Amino acid sequence: MGWWADRKKKKEEQKAAQATSSPAKTAAPAKAPVSEAAECSADKEPVGLAAADLGPLLPGAPPNGKVNLAIYWAAGCGGCDVSILDTNERILTISDMANIVMWPIAVDGKEKDIAAMEDGSITVCMINGAVRNSENEHMVKLLRQKSLIVVSYGTCACFGGTPSLANLVPGGKDEILDYVYTKVPSSAAFQSKYNSAKPRIPQTSTTVPEGQLTLPVLYDTVYALDQVIDVDYYIPGCPPMQESISHLLKAVADFAYNGVALPPKGTMVGITSKTLCEECPRKKEYKRITEVKEPYQVDTNNDKCLVDQGIICLGSATMGGCGAKCTRVGQPCRGCYGPSPEVQELGSSAFTAIASLFPVTDEDPTMGEDKVDDIMSQIKDPLGYFYAFSMSKSLIRRSVKEGGQ
Amino acid sequence: MADFEPKIVAFCCNWCSYAGADGAGVARLQMPTNFRIIRTMCSARIDPEFILRAFSKGADGVIILGCHPADCHYIGGNYRARRRISLLRMVLEQYGFDPKRLNLEWVSASEATKFQATITNFVKTVKELGPTPLVKVVDRKDAVKEAE
Repeated sequence: MGWWADRKKKKEEQKAAQATSSPAKTAAPAKAPVSEAAECSADKEPVGLAAADLGPLLPGAPPNGKVNLAIYWAAGCGGCDVSILDTNERILTISDMANIVMWPIAVDGKEKDIAAMEDGSITVCMINGAVRNSENEHMVKLLRQKSLIVVSYGTCACFGGTPSLANLVPGGKDEILDYVYTKVPSSAAFQSKYNSAKPRIPQTSTTVPEGQLTLPVLYDTVYALDQVIDVDYYIPGCPPMQESISHLLKAVADFAYNGVALPPKGTMVGITSKTLCEECPRKKEYKRITEVKEPYQVDTNNDKCLVDQGIICLGSATMGGCGAKCTRVGQPCRGCYGPSPEVQELGSSAFTAIASLFPVTDEDPTMGEDKVDDIMSQIKDPLGYFYAFSMSKSLIRRSVKEGGQ
Repeated sequence: MADFEPKIVAFCCNWCSYAGADGAGVARLQMPTNFRIIRTMCSARIDPEFILRAFSKGADGVIILGCHPADCHYIGGNYRARRRISLLRMVLEQYGFDPKRLNLEWVSASEATKFQATITNFVKTVKELGPTPLVKVVDRKDAVKEAE
């Protein structure tokens, strides 16, 4: 066909040649989870990152005794904890390899148990959720001190995720607390009924006859995990895919049983080397759009690119690896896998691409900037849309107030 | 606010505005010195990330200067740029910045006086707005290091 088809064909041939010449290379995909496994499976229809081959069930305890595993839940929805169960029956054999010393959703380890452990005695600690309050910060710092490897698990831990949209509340924590406990209809009704004199808002410390009670202190800014502690590996995703978990598990199991070296620090586990569009099966026709639509407003064609149909999809700016799960079912990508390594933030590269989709009209040479603003204001709430998952890692990071200094 | 000297980043396209700025210099036109020019090949080369980075590093204003519509050296670059800047201005407004801190103007290679007027006006606008409202967020781990 054209130049692109030729290039693709050549690449596939090269890949096939590589695969036959060095079979040893494919045996250890977990060491380079970023690209190799994905490219092997990308022959006909790319389906994202292939799961690591974990082989038969783990063979009992590792030679040097079980490793310690901790999983912690910071400011997140809990979906990440549930996603760990996506490993199906594999989850049962994890206890052969590891003692789960902490997992708030499933096992009984407490903060004092962790504090009593020696530094570095936890081999792997997976932390999901952003850091939102003093308790989160205390726990992640404690776990960092006790752990050899800390994995930033899920989008909230990696980029701030949805909780980090709270950074856009100009009044910070006071405004949030005030709104939630006095303005939301249900709490407004409660406050006017029971605390009509003065609305009652949770305090960080209260004295009761039995002694003093404390609650964690909420922060004005939500932090991604690596803005609070050093992080060794990142697994993005909301929640991370089972394939990503298998790559981490493979790396840890290889390390525990065979002493295979772990991937280098800072590795993003479970992503491919290209953006989501590479995995998306939809066909792009490079149409210009004049109208922005929500998925429910369109009878979506299942073969065509969502952007061509007027739906804002952030796939072109988001790292691949998820297998385009959302776009396959007609939902646009919202960017939970984070930006590509070449750029710092996802939002600006996404709206750069989206803005270019609006066609140049005949009036363009003569029209003023107001008219351009009219065209672009079709996109409602650009900040919330383009930064839905990555506000903590954006450049500006939180809302500002003109003349407030 | 009388002694406030704003820091302004000016992105100029290579073909029109940078030549315009050059012309203004050669003609010794007087203008405030609060701006630093960054030359790009086209106004469409200016990734919104550049502008956000300028603001995140404490710029009080950013001005983008390109070729007049229909005059772009690359035919349609400035049409792309103006759409991006418009969207970026909406984003900045949502953050809480005054959108006037981001300005887009068209200055051709021969318009040295327009360059002078544009810069003078923009510096005046930013001076009236005052220093950038940016809140520098310090990472928690850096905050601890500072305390130590």
